[in-house]
Amino acid sequence: MANITKKVSWSSRADESGATGEGTPLLNGSEQPRHSRQIGRLSTVDLEEEITSEEDSLRGRPKEIPHNEKLLSLKFESLDYDNIENQLFLEEERRMSYMGFRCLEISRWVVCGLIGFLTGLIACFIDIAVEELAGFKYQVVKENIEKFTEVGGLSISLILWAVLNSAIVMIGAIIVAFFEPIAAGSGIPQIKCYLNGVKIPRVVRLKTLVVKVCGVICSVVGGLAVGKEGPMIHSGAVVAAGVSQGRSTSLKRDFKIFEYFRRDTEKRDFVSAGAAAGVSAAFGAPVGGVLFSLEEGASFWNQMLTWRIFFASMISTFTLNFFLSIYHNKTGDLSSPGLINFGRFESDSVAYNLYEIPLFIAMGAIGGLLGALFNVLNYWLTIFRIRYVHRPCLQVMEAMLVAAVTATVSFTMIYFSNDCQPLGPEHTEEYPLQLFCADGEYNSMATAFFNTPERSVRSLFHNQPDTYNPLTLGLFTLTYFFLACWTYGLAVSAGVFIPSLLIGAAWGRLFGRLLAAITSSGSIWADPGKYALIGAAAQLGGIVRMTLSLTVIMVEATGNVTYGLPIMLVLMTAKIVGDYFVEGLYDIHIKLQSVPFLHWEAPATSHWLTAREVMSSPVTCLNRIEKVGTIVDTLSNTSTNHNGFPVVVQVTGSDEPAKLCGLILRSQLIVLLKHKVFVELARSRLTQRKLQLKDFRDAYPRFPPIQSIHVSQDERECMMDLTEFMNATPYTVPQETSLPRVFKLFRALGLRHLVVVDDENRVVGLVTRKDLARYHLGKHGLEELQLAQT
Amino acid sequence: MSLSKSSLSLLLFILNMSTIALSDGLNLTALHSADKLKQIPSLNRAAAAVVVNSPMFKPAVEPIFSLNLLSSFPEDLEISDYCKELLNIFGQRYVAYVSCLVPAARPVTVCQKCFSSFGSLREAYANISSESGPGNVSCSESLLRGDRLMVVNQLNTSLEELWTSSACDNCVTKGLQRLTNDTLYFMNTLNQTDDCFDKYRQGNHTELCKNCKSTYQELNELYGRMEKNQTMCIDIEDSMNMTRRLWSKYYNCSVPREETVPVIAVSSFMLFLPIIFYLSSFLHSEQKKRKLIHPKRAKSYTSLMNIQDKLG
Repeated sequence: MANITKKVSWSSRADESGATGEGTPLLNGSEQPRHSRQIGRLSTVDLEEEITSEEDSLRGRPKEIPHNEKLLSLKFESLDYDNIENQLFLEEERRMSYMGFRCLEISRWVVCGLIGFLTGLIACFIDIAVEELAGFKYQVVKENIEKFTEVGGLSISLILWAVLNSAIVMIGAIIVAFFEPIAAGSGIPQIKCYLNGVKIPRVVRLKTLVVKVCGVICSVVGGLAVGKEGPMIHSGAVVAAGVSQGRSTSLKRDFKIFEYFRRDTEKRDFVSAGAAAGVSAAFGAPVGGVLFSLEEGASFWNQMLTWRIFFASMISTFTLNFFLSIYHNKTGDLSSPGLINFGRFESDSVAYNLYEIPLFIAMGAIGGLLGALFNVLNYWLTIFRIRYVHRPCLQVMEAMLVAAVTATVSFTMIYFSNDCQPLGPEHTEEYPLQLFCADGEYNSMATAFFNTPERSVRSLFHNQPDTYNPLTLGLFTLTYFFLACWTYGLAVSAGVFIPSLLIGAAWGRLFGRLLAAITSSGSIWADPGKYALIGAAAQLGGIVRMTLSLTVIMVEATGNVTYGLPIMLVLMTAKIVGDYFVEGLYDIHIKLQSVPFLHWEAPATSHWLTAREVMSSPVTCLNRIEKVGTIVDTLSNTSTNHNGFPVVVQVTGSDEPAKLCGLILRSQLIVLLKHKVFVELARSRLTQRKLQLKDFRDAYPRFPPIQSIHVSQDERECMMDLTEFMNATPYTVPQETSLPRVFKLFRALGLRHLVVVDDENRVVGLVTRKDLARYHLGKHGLEELQLAQT
Repeated sequence: MSLSKSSLSLLLFILNMSTIALSDGLNLTALHSADKLKQIPSLNRAAAAVVVNSPMFKPAVEPIFSLNLLSSFPEDLEISDYCKELLNIFGQRYVAYVSCLVPAARPVTVCQKCFSSFGSLREAYANISSESGPGNVSCSESLLRGDRLMVVNQLNTSLEELWTSSACDNCVTKGLQRLTNDTLYFMNTLNQTDDCFDKYRQGNHTELCKNCKSTYQELNELYGRMEKNQTMCIDIEDSMNMTRRLWSKYYNCSVPREETVPVIAVSSFMLFLPIIFYLSSFLHSEQKKRKLIHPKRAKSYTSLMNIQDKLG
């Protein structure tokens, strides 16, 4: 048995390290050792021995290990996606008229429209800000370079560029690292977790939105190898979460509207709509947005929701187009697509033939391989960052260094490039740099590097076939690959879509050029722009491993259905090849953040595990009529921090665990304590207003901590009747239920707590998200993740 | 010249054919009023007189007319003489413009040399396409839209496209009277530069680079300004391109890449910074540890036995 022989390690087998003993020193539960990470590998012989040795080791040394991917963090909690059907709820429903329900339905649509509108506005703001600021920056640097090309002193231009980049990125990194760390990165993993039912602290706050928007502007203007598309999804989600609540807790404003939507279930639906609206604004792809939400985001779905989400997406694209048309002085022209404009592919280069399909598939495989390499490198880098670069000031410094190095590498590439191309007649190059090229020509490396990434993508797709020579493309791919890999995971808010597209477009174009070179007469079909598009799709698919939504997004963003089949094939191949090596980038980051994420299915080969092994036990139960003191003590026990409590009825004159009669949440108890809903008080003051569901909604989502609620000594002796407030019919399973069954129930219904009962309906345990999420299928069979304080 | 003549006669032939077809159709559908039908022969006669008076086209037109089927159609359906004359004029001017364009193709001087002939061509076309002629008859119907080939229209369109893409409008005044002052000034500067190049052509090119730099730069800046103002036509672009090529490639006066060392030094310093950063944070920063928490679990000895049973 390898359990305690292996100590701390970097590797994926770190879960086998010594910390395998199980006990609950913090609780009254018995310290029952649990014997294995590799559950399936036991032998009877050394079982006893092992337990003792583990118990020794448990007491002997502190349980601290370096961060690794096989942990579950305690700070994440579940969202309450299951409706709490208590008496208050039933009462409210009874009171509600038919019209009331119709109004609710209408207001859902209104909210979705608002979400789309605001998301579109934000996208528009980001786009314009980036364009203006980046334009200013590149103008300054360009003038400087032009000045120094002749008189000498180009190293000063280099320093100027690096310093400008670092300074801008510094602002972005400071606001992220010091004010809202959750706004770092693209935000897609976070939203994915949120929609899966994990409550990520502060992920949908207004402050996060502000930091995200400013941060993304800074990082794109600062010349990092990033895009502004990923953050749009997060922004959309925050907008949705905010709008649907009809108030802002941060601004302390309550508009007294949409009060019905103040609970997790409703909010979740709107957040999926927001994510879709974000995608659709980012890529001008409404259908792609809906499918993205379906594929990556929402773990829960229904048809009406799809239609509403589609509405939000459409409104968002429309809004963005409308406001951008005003900005571009073409008011009313609604046809300009989203944030990234892939441009239109001309009809003669669109054609593709049957014999090109194998080529496309080969490109998909390359994309998958490169994507897997990208993900593996980024995985190690992220682990290093979590372990060593965790102080905010270090994170800011790191971001600045990356910005400076990006500028330096770009400059060096441009400086030493001999690839000069004549200026095109329509001047697609925004900031052409001449440098040492002949007059009337420009440095073609500069169009790739000395530009915002998305413009580079466009020029790779659409420039004349001979615009870039193969050496330029090769070097660009190589450097940008490492830069992008290095950049993702910094403490700046930035997405990985555009860099991936850019890398892919570069090597795709290279592929196309080489093809044209080998096949003597092939220049007609081997259009580099087409291969650039296919390469971009392959690379992006290899990194993020999306299939359906990415196909549609690419098709919509290029406005070209003809490429549907090749893109689909490419993305499928990329995903298959990539998945053979490593997971998608977002999944890696979810794992590294130790989020208890529930996948679609329970891990395979787990049928022999039953609810008895999975559940937490013993359970802290409350009586139906409980003493206030007991409740306060239970809630303020910092070591347990439970959120759900089964409510039981004591069988008179028995020591046995009492029978289950309901389930109550911490948040409910806190509201009850705050309003002092005590039996004695109710008796004495008959006039006291009856507590309504509204009182719970008003406290949502930031329920006050138990410490802020003052309960006097007298009140501690009072009793509290939970009958009205508890969920009288919680979901339960028998002890013998298999793990996949429990998992399916839990996942499909979006539960937070699942009570395990015996045959006499007595509570024996409680299954929560963390109990289920800890099992996963590793290289050595079923493995278990450990809980950790992060 | 003979080529153009025969092509013109072909053109006329086609036009005639189409006119016949058109008039025929009109007859069949009987939509035309009797008045209008009567008008046509008189006009035809007038136009025929004009044709006879122009000796140049007579020999070329005659043989083909004798070959084709036209003579068997009533005179009413032919195009009017007036329109024929307009067509002739258009043909002449077309030939004149094309024969001006071809020699001006390389180096491009199409705007400077041919703007006046384009002006007269445009005028001729405008006459054809205008709705009102003498006797209130329009030729545009018969000449421009008489058939699906629409030769006159297509010929004119192709030349108009050529004119648009050459952007000659930027170099010529509104009424196609003369070149603009900007253009003339540019030509003047260009000539100065060329003179300078000629002067130093012999001998060392570094001498040329040094001495002509000021005039060349002046030209370059002027060009840059014009580029920004959108006051350029193909002539200017082309001559500038040639001059630039001369300057950069032929005389080799481009800026050389000289400061490789400082650039390398600065960039390697920059590239070195992250290495220091990561090393120092690896060595000095305290590694973040995670405290493991042990969840409470059921006393599951029985279940352990179960597992073993199952596994066994």
